[in-house]
Amino acid sequence: MRQDYTHLVGHRFPGGTYTLPAWLCWLWADTAELPADEHVAHPALAYFVAMQGVGVTIQDIFDLMDATADSGVMFGECRLLWRRPLSPGATYRCEGRIIEVERKQGRRAGVFDKMSFEVTMTEQGQSDPAAECVNTWVFPRGMGEG
Amino acid sequence: MADGKLTVGMQLEPFVIESVDPQRMKTMVAILRDPNPIHYDTEVTRRLGLGDRPVNQGPINLTWMVEAVARFAGGPKRLRDIEVRFLGNVFAGERFECTGRVSSIDAAAGTAEIEVTATADGRDVLSGTATVAVGGQ
Repeated sequence: MRQDYTHLVGHRFPGGTYTLPAWLCWLWADTAELPADEHVAHPALAYFVAMQGVGVTIQDIFDLMDATADSGVMFGECRLLWRRPLSPGATYRCEGRIIEVERKQGRRAGVFDKMSFEVTMTEQGQSDPAAECVNTWVFPRGMGEG
Repeated sequence: MADGKLTVGMQLEPFVIESVDPQRMKTMVAILRDPNPIHYDTEVTRRLGLGDRPVNQGPINLTWMVEAVARFAGGPKRLRDIEVRFLGNVFAGERFECTGRVSSIDAAAGTAEIEVTATADGRDVLSGTATVAVGGQ
């Protein structure tokens, strides 16, 4: 494990396209115990579309940060921005990059890295993004380090 | 949904999940292809000092907070943005409650800012700030 991951700032994900299936919109709503709307996807699906379309898996991001699946990685912050609702069945072009990596130390949490990445989602046939997603994930690095 | 004009201080209708369901976490593991076992394997949660219940996924908690704001604003088309901070874990079986209030209104922009918080069995687990369109926006 490295002591400094700031070299990842600016790292671009492969990007790609993702078609948001109507069945997935239904399943997402059902999993969250919410009614599904067949015409408008739940706005929180912007997070999911970003992760599906940007061309990396959660495991890929763990790998970039030298983290394992059972190392206690946590969701720190999420910003979603919508210019128009997401639609079931629509295809989105996604582009993403890492925008910040910061090592911190907390009294209880010990040493950890905060890594933020942003993804823009543009519906096929449109020129401006329909939505943006900025995620900050927290990677524990153990106690007493640094 | 808030009827009529939003005013500063107006409260959101509380959004409540009486008991967070661990089976739904497993479905979300499959949807997200999330390899983190804290969402389904209590051996791991115990080893990590998280207790003997699985941890709800952040995206589910996020969905509930977004839902609370969208209902208040009059539907998802009125959402402009939300910034959410994850303050603590939500465990299976806990009572999740999201509340909030209008903190400011920008009449020129046609938007309102809403401060939202969520608790799990009374512990603060999420805080956020959302911007929604008001009036004919």
